[in-house]
This record gives sequence, structure tokens and C-alpha cells, in this order.
Amino acid sequence: MIDASRIITEALVQSGADVFVGYPITPSNLFYTYSKERFPEFLAGPDEISVLQWMCGYSAAGKIPVTATAFPGLALMTETLNMAYMMELPMVLIITQRLGPSTGSATTGAQGDLKFLDGIISGGFPLPIFSPSNFNDAWTLSNEALKTAVKFRTPVIILTSKELVMTQKSFDMSSLEPLEKVDRTPKEFKFPFQPYKAGLDMVPTFYPLGNDEYQVRFNSSTHDNEGLIRKGTPESLANTWRLREKLEKRIDEYSFFELDAENGAEDLIVTWGVSADASRDSVNSIRGKGKKVSLLIVKTMLPISQKIYDIIDSYKTITFAEENMTGMFKEMIFGKRTTSKIKTATKFGTMLTPSEIEEKVN
Amino acid sequence: MEAAKKILTNVKMPFCPGCGHGICVRSTSKALENLGYGPNDVVLVSDIGCSGLVDPLFATHTIHGLHGRAPALGIGVSLGLDNPNKKVVVIQGDGGATIGLQHILEASRRNIDMTLIVINNLLYGMTGGQMSGLSTNEFKAYKHSDDDADPYDVVNLAHQSGAAFSVRVNDISNFTDTLKEAINTPGFSLVELSSLCTSHGMKKVADMKGFIVAEERLVNNRPIGVSKKRTKNSLLSSVKVLEKQFESTIEDSTGIVIAGSAGGGVQSAAKILAQAGILSGLYTTMKGEYPITVGTGFSVAEVILSKKPIHFTGLEKPSAVIAVTEEGWNKVKNRVAHESKVLVDRKICADCSVDVKDFLKVGGKMGAALSAVSYWVKETGVFPVEALFKVVESSKYAVSLQKAIQSAEELREVVYSYIPENKKRTN
Ligand SMILES: Cc1ncc(C[n+]2csc(CCOP(=O)(O)OP(=O)(O)O)c2C)c(N)n1
Ligand code: SF4
Ligand SMILES: [Mg+2]
Repeated sequence: MIDASRIITEALVQSGADVFVGYPITPSNLFYTYSKERFPEFLAGPDEISVLQWMCGYSAAGKIPVTATAFPGLALMTETLNMAYMMELPMVLIITQRLGPSTGSATTGAQGDLKFLDGIISGGFPLPIFSPSNFNDAWTLSNEALKTAVKFRTPVIILTSKELVMTQKSFDMSSLEPLEKVDRTPKEFKFPFQPYKAGLDMVPTFYPLGNDEYQVRFNSSTHDNEGLIRKGTPESLANTWRLREKLEKRIDEYSFFELDAENGAEDLIVTWGVSADASRDSVNSIRGKGKKVSLLIVKTMLPISQKIYDIIDSYKTITFAEENMTGMFKEMIFGKRTTSKIKTATKFGTMLTPSEIEEKVN
Repeated sequence: MEAAKKILTNVKMPFCPGCGHGICVRSTSKALENLGYGPNDVVLVSDIGCSGLVDPLFATHTIHGLHGRAPALGIGVSLGLDNPNKKVVVIQGDGGATIGLQHILEASRRNIDMTLIVINNLLYGMTGGQMSGLSTNEFKAYKHSDDDADPYDVVNLAHQSGAAFSVRVNDISNFTDTLKEAINTPGFSLVELSSLCTSHGMKKVADMKGFIVAEERLVNNRPIGVSKKRTKNSLLSSVKVLEKQFESTIEDSTGIVIAGSAGGGVQSAAKILAQAGILSGLYTTMKGEYPITVGTGFSVAEVILSKKPIHFTGLEKPSAVIAVTEEGWNKVKNRVAHESKVLVDRKICADCSVDVKDFLKVGGKMGAALSAVSYWVKETGVFPVEALFKVVESSKYAVSLQKAIQSAEELREVVYSYIPENKKRTN
């Protein structure tokens, strides 16, 4: 028997993560325990602000750091997460959702942190959010998350939920293919080296602090290509704007989803994370009764790819299946206003069940 | 000899005329140059505030972070570099030291190899001269500030927390030498430098007298803090691989809720059941629920056994609800569905209309849950009870677990006995 915390931790180490910096919090504690057992380097921070600051230091020094927390820790990390984003430091944050608000119920699952993450970077900048829907995703998506962090020089989030990472399941481990270690060789660049000068791919070449070849400057404030504070110059504003562009324009390089489309179906179930397995079951049940239905499992939650919009637009009715009050992903696509075309199968405080989803679709 | 490269750039100081920060910056660069550091050997970590405007002045590597967090960022840089030939220097103001005090204590406690320079001008310069946690009472009285709580002694705090070297210097003619000493000290060093804010404080250094804290220098002889690196084994290699060796009668899927109290082996009984299911060719899931204080209160586990792969791991209609203690039963009695078989210990309700057995009596406090699970397995015949024995065979607690499984027999009329695999005769 195995749980997704173990799979994600192993996948990240195999993909090249160097250090885990943690502060314990339920339901992310298994990540802490497993990381202590597995990571080449493990550090226990005294609080979540320290944790993420240390990670930024490691990242700026050329290492790939990982942490795991839940909403209360994420809230403390928010300012530093913005710093990491602005400095363009690769790292992975695992956020295990639990029932809020506030400390809420530590051992009850939820899918209630997506909207917080949507606006977490001041100014509305996109932060890549990956949400595994089962054990195989936990493996491959962790690898993709880490690759995205390095390729785009950005912090990324792996968004999970209590039931996904703490439930033990029988699992065929031979279905996990060996993972490729991420390549950290610095990309070619046009001389002279400037730490924030980007080429056509919009991502500046990374050299770590303390290297002997090039002077490196990282900066959390609005900065020019050299990494020095510049308020409102075309260069510094372009540099900040680029943070959005690099992720939005190249979205298809890291946008993952699973579409189980049935020919002739007019109904689509859209779901993510822990509600995906319940949706898989309800799709089987609906089809078993001779009704046509398609299923879209979104795995890169943010930013949202045009492909997701296009799929959704091609159906007559859409049912969003999510374990939160109002359907957070639904609100990100359609806003708070609901029309007859859009339905929500939501649940608060317990898992959304296959029959509850089926009921909404019908 | 090649002329040593300058630590400072030619950029003009960004501070107000007469601001003391410039002297601190020049003294820092002089100290580094005198010690032979080149620009690429130094990582300057800067905070927010007027004292954080220093990046362009340094030709070194620089990283400019958040208000108060520079020492924490420095900890990460220092451990991440893990290179004694590189020097991490952190600069922050008294405001930064106030909001981020925890990070200074942590750097001291761990004796991280870096030098923190706290430039103390007794106020938040950048935001308009408000009082900080390092502003002295005398200065606050002079500024007509209502806050008369005594200031932190950050030098002493660092010392008490284990910093290798912590020192306060007020006399600018000693800045460079003291900084040299600090930079040369292996481990964590903190240098508090007195600075002048000409815009919101005094106009002249001489006027600072009477408003500042006396100099002090403190030393701890401790090893440098390092982060150990280890090679470790795959987390997958320690997962027990279970191959099918028994047959199951389950056609579709069945879910069981098991409830008891902390320390009663509920979680382990559930896991044994689930693993026995795998040995019987089934797909299984197992999840536990218990209070955060795991040593007390209820303990509930859910197991699903299924012939087909399991997606949804929730359990809407358990086919059995088992409870061996009252607090466990209270937690799960609302889970009983129309089709649920209910099995509870006699102690919970002797006259219930449900199936009542003496699980506690035959299995003991620790074995009751496993006894009940074994009883259920035998009664339903989902798979041979040998599968349970097989799971516990190699456990540290094999003997007591086997006893608990065996105890279920006392609750049944037919008595059978388990013969371990290696003792079995083949025919
Ligand atoms: C989290 C946070 N709170 C408040 C501020 C606003 N702020 C900027 S600089 C500063 C005070 C700086 O004082 P000090 O560290 O003593 O530096 P000085 O300007 O005196 O050199 C404050 C409060 C901020 N940047 N971040
Ligand atoms: S406001 Fe004060 S601390 Fe800031 S630059 Fe001016 S004199 Fe220096
Ligand atoms: Mg100050």
C-alpha cells in the first residue's frame, strides 16, 4: 500500500530536487516525514516565513528546494512567495488543502485554496498550479512541476488535498516510469551577461549567486536587466511585464489535462484534484445507464489554457465537480453568475461523491 | 601582483547628505578588500529600508529581499553555497532587525557562517522616522514617542542564542577593524553599527551621545552550523510488494468501517485487512481518521476491497460497520447504512439489536479491533483468513497479532488452527 505523499516526494527527488525545507502541518506531514527520509538535504525551519526565505537562498545559490504546507503556512509564506516570483527563483511548494477558514479542520480535506492562489501574486500575475488527480499524476505531474519551475525560473505549486495524499491504496508501482532529472546547465545568452536580460523565450539565463564567472544580482523590487532597483523605467516595467508573458505565452508547454470525450455527448463534467476520481466513477455510472457524457480533468489549474476554454465551449451543459462551497474553478471560468448551461456539484466538509455528481449532471 | 578588484562600484551614495549609512557601506567594503575578498567572492544580502538601498554600491553578487527577512535569506544562501571561500554579508536596519528578530536568533542558534551588519539609526528611516524595537527610551523621549518599552539588545540576544561573535560599535573609527574581525570569524557574527539619520534624527554624530546604547562585544566558541548531506534510498524500495496468493469471493466491491479508541490497534487492523485483500488479488484503499491528539480519543479506519480498480476512495454505504469501544461507536454509528452489517463489542451495548460479540474479552484492548476484523473475514468469507496470517507473519509483533487473529475463533463455533507456511505439509 502506498500514498501519494510518498509518490510525490520520490518523484521530486528523482527529478532533481536538492533540499526539503519544512515546517510541520497536517495534512502535509507525510511529505515532511518522507522528505526527511529521502531528500539529500533536509532542514527544519522555525516557521513558514523562514522556510520560504531559506528556500529562496538555496534557489539563488543554484539548488532546487521543496516544501510542503497547508493554507495557514501558505498565508505566512505569501510575501516571500511574491519575492521568489519576482526574483525568478525555481522551487516547488506542495500545498495540501484542508477545510478552512483559518485553522479550520486540519484533518478534513477540501479544495478551497484555488482562488487564493489565483490572486496570490500581487498584480494578478500567473503562478503555475499543478493538481494531480491520482497516483500516476502524482508521479508525472511532480516531474513536470519541477521542470516548469526550472525552465521558466519560477516558483510552482503542487496543489493536493488531504484525501489524495493521506489515503493508502494498493498500487502497481511498475506503472511508474523512471523520471528524467532536470537539466540545470545555463542556457546560452547574448553577451554581456545580465541576470534579468531575457531572449526570445522570455526567461533569463540562470547563474547562481557566488559563481566565479558572472556577477549575479537578484532583486525583489522592480528592477532592470542588471537586477538593480528601477522605478517605472521602460526596462524595469518590461521586466515585470515579462513575468506574466513568459508564463502566458508559453502556457501550452506546461498545461496538462485529461479529456475523456464521448462521441455525441452534450454534457461535460469538469473537475480537478481529489474530485477527479469521484467524477471518473460517476462517468462510468452515467454511461452504464446509456447516457452520453464527457469528462475533463484539469491538471494545470493556473494559468488557464485556451484549450480548456475551447473544450468547455464545445459542450451544451457543463457540470463542475469540486469539493468547495461554490465551485472555485467554475467561478474562475464563468464568474459567480450561473446560467442554466452551468451546474455545480460541490461539497463542503466531506468528499463529493460519485452519486452527487451524477445527480447534478442528470 | 594584480591589483585587487574593488568591492564598491562608482555609483553615488543614494542617502541624504550626512546620513550615517554611507560610512557603514564604506567600512564594509574596506574590511572586505583588506581581507582580500574580490567581488565574486562576496554575496551581499540586503534588507528593505534606506539601509537596503546598498545593492548598486556593491560590485559583488547581490540579492535584495524583504523587510526584516535578509538574515533568513542569508541563511539559505550560506547553506546553499556551502563554500567557505565565499562570504555572505547581510545588511539590515534596526527596523529590519525588529520585524525579523526570529531570523537573527535562528542564525545565531545555528551559528550560520555569515556576517550580519545591523545599521542602527534608532528609527525607521525610509518610512518617515518612526520608532523601532531598537530605539532607546532616551531617543523616544526626545522624539516625544509614547512607546516607552525598553529596546531589544540585539547584540546580547544573538550572543545568548549562540552567535560566534556579536558586537556593538558606536565609534566610527573602529567600524572597519571590527567588521574585519567579524568577517574573519567562522560562524555567525553580528555587528551593530551606530548610524545617523540626518532627516529624522540627529544632525551630527556628536549629538547621538546620550541616545545610544553602550558598546559591547560577546563571543561564543561554537562549531559552524552546516546542513548535512546524505545519499538515501528510494522511498519506493521500502514499500512492501504484495503478490496475489489467495482467492477472493468478492465480485464487486465492499467497504468496511472499523472504529475503536487510540492505542487499540484500529489503524493497524485496517491495514492488515487491506494488505490481506491485496494478497487475495483485490484492489484496496485504507484511510484513517482520529483526533489531532493521536494518543487519545476515537480511532476510525475505512477499508475498501474491490475486484475492480478503485477511483473514489470515500465510503458512502459501508457493507460493515465494526466498533470495539464506545467512543469509536459514537463516532461511526451514523455511518450505518441500510445494507451495513453491524458488529459491536458486547461492552458497548449488550442488548442492541445488532450483532454483539466479545471482541475485547478475547482479543484484549490492543487486539480487539483485529479480532473483530478477523471475525468479519471469517464470517463473510471474503478471502481465507490465512491471508491475514500471511500479512502479519513477518511483523515485529507477529506473535500478538497472530493471537488476535486466532482469538476470533473463540467467537465462532467451528475452531480451526493456523499452521505457519513453513510448517505446512505439502500433499
Ligand atoms: C512587511 C513590511 N512592512 C512594512 C514595510 C515598510 N517599510 C519599509 S522600510 C521600513 C523601515 C525601515 O527601517 P530600518 O530597517 O531601520 O531601515 P532604515 O530606513 O532606517 O535604514 C518599513 C517599515 C515593508 N517594506 N514591509
Ligand atoms: S532618511 Fe535618514 S536613514 Fe534614510 S537616507 Fe535619509 S538620513 Fe539616511
Ligand atoms: Mg533604521
